[in-house]
Amino acid sequence: MKFDVVIVGAGPAGLAAAYKLASAGFKVVVLERGREPGAKELYGGRIYAYWLDKYLPEFRKDAPVDRWVRRERVSFLTEDKALTIETAVVEKEKTSFVVPLVSFVSWMAKLAQNAGAKIVTETPVDILVKDEKGRITGVQSGPDVLQADYVVDAEGVNRLLLERAGIVKKLEPELVAVGVKEVLKFENKKTLEERLGLGEDEGLAWAIAGYPTEYLPGGGFIYTYKDALALGVVVYMRNWEKLKTPVYDLAEKLRLHPYMAPLVKGASLQEYGGHMTPVAGINMAPPRFYYDGLLIAGDAAGFLLHTGVLIRGVDFAVASGVLAAEAIKEARSPSAEDLAVYEKKLRSSFILPQLEKFRKADRLLSDESLFRDLALLSTEAAYSYFNIDENHRTLFEAVREASKKTSISLVKLMINMIKMVRNL
Amino acid sequence: MSLKYFTIEERLNANAWDVDVHRPHIKIVDPEQCRKCEKKPCTFMCPAKCYVQQGDYVVLSTEACVECGTCRVVCPHGNIDWNYPRSGMGIWYRFT
Repeated sequence: MKFDVVIVGAGPAGLAAAYKLASAGFKVVVLERGREPGAKELYGGRIYAYWLDKYLPEFRKDAPVDRWVRRERVSFLTEDKALTIETAVVEKEKTSFVVPLVSFVSWMAKLAQNAGAKIVTETPVDILVKDEKGRITGVQSGPDVLQADYVVDAEGVNRLLLERAGIVKKLEPELVAVGVKEVLKFENKKTLEERLGLGEDEGLAWAIAGYPTEYLPGGGFIYTYKDALALGVVVYMRNWEKLKTPVYDLAEKLRLHPYMAPLVKGASLQEYGGHMTPVAGINMAPPRFYYDGLLIAGDAAGFLLHTGVLIRGVDFAVASGVLAAEAIKEARSPSAEDLAVYEKKLRSSFILPQLEKFRKADRLLSDESLFRDLALLSTEAAYSYFNIDENHRTLFEAVREASKKTSISLVKLMINMIKMVRNL
Repeated sequence: MSLKYFTIEERLNANAWDVDVHRPHIKIVDPEQCRKCEKKPCTFMCPAKCYVQQGDYVVLSTEACVECGTCRVVCPHGNIDWNYPRSGMGIWYRFT
């Protein structure tokens, strides 16, 4: 059987490409290794809407949304202290939303299918098939070879196909983080709202630095689904030797922290999962995004922007899938020369410019002292300031006292903060 | 506030699986290499505790694997033969 386009992976990138190509009349098949789209996918919990409005405006009409985020919370957390900053909007804002990824991609899958794309599940792809000239001409799954004019590789962060094709090297621990996540279900949505102090249907996104990763690069997160919480921890792989808690216990440890436990009391564990996530952004991109017969989109291409508190994967994935589809529509042939238009599109879109802009974020965020110093010193200073004893401290005295107590140099912290506000 | 700690085994039990008992999708290439491996990062980094140290060796059980690929990336000796489970088997996320 021959298709115009074979797409590997029914995630946000692959399905966006499938939808756009099928809509343009291409004969498209998406190969997905899971039982259904989303069965093998895991993310934090939030999708940013701004670029979806441009690349997949259909989502406003009927895509599933559990809660629109109206509160952003950031905490520095230690064993026994916390400092939390929250920003909230009272008006209904619709700029980012929380939804299980599996719900969102199953909506995308229906969109693609209705446009005429074929989605074949339970089909892991083993290799990208090349002809004698090295052009990608299809994919192989088990004994079956599927030929196509174009292949879109949207296989995700664990890019075994690109590696086997010799396009990228094996992933280094420096390029990725591992995330673990618990989905905690409440009796009903009202209980969740009362616990977290949220209005009806109000969404919360919460980033937590310090304690969740034992002060190593990475952080904890909480997102509010309709009647459940996503609670997880992401830790940069390169620092693993300094971790004292095994990764499989990190999310559970955060759940049981005295600052978190009262919030999640009574909620039952609905699901537990783990996944890798790119942290190096553009620094883990393949040498090119287009080859003879092949385009690369989504996490596999390194299209995930990670700036510490803000993490954007799905909007980058969807947009890159759409651009891959446009490139194929415009290309006269599957030659790399003709497909180079994909890179041009990535450059004139937000994708490459924004990834380039935050090129240094990865290195800064990998600095082991950054979150440690900030978390320890800020929580200690806040405690000092609010704690009245014989001395009523000025803010400056509180900070200085915290600096002494934690042995963290204020000068070093200031330098780090300047780097942070410039680069993150 | 003290809540009950759930072991990783208990937590993994919440998940839906379809285990491929006939063909483990991940294999340790050379067990001797694991014995010699000083730090054994797999036993610490796997989110599903698939790798357990027994004596000097590492024992791998893939039944509860969440297919993230971390073990392969952190293995300092390239000693892990890693494939996806065949035909839809393995982890089945429904709520994440």
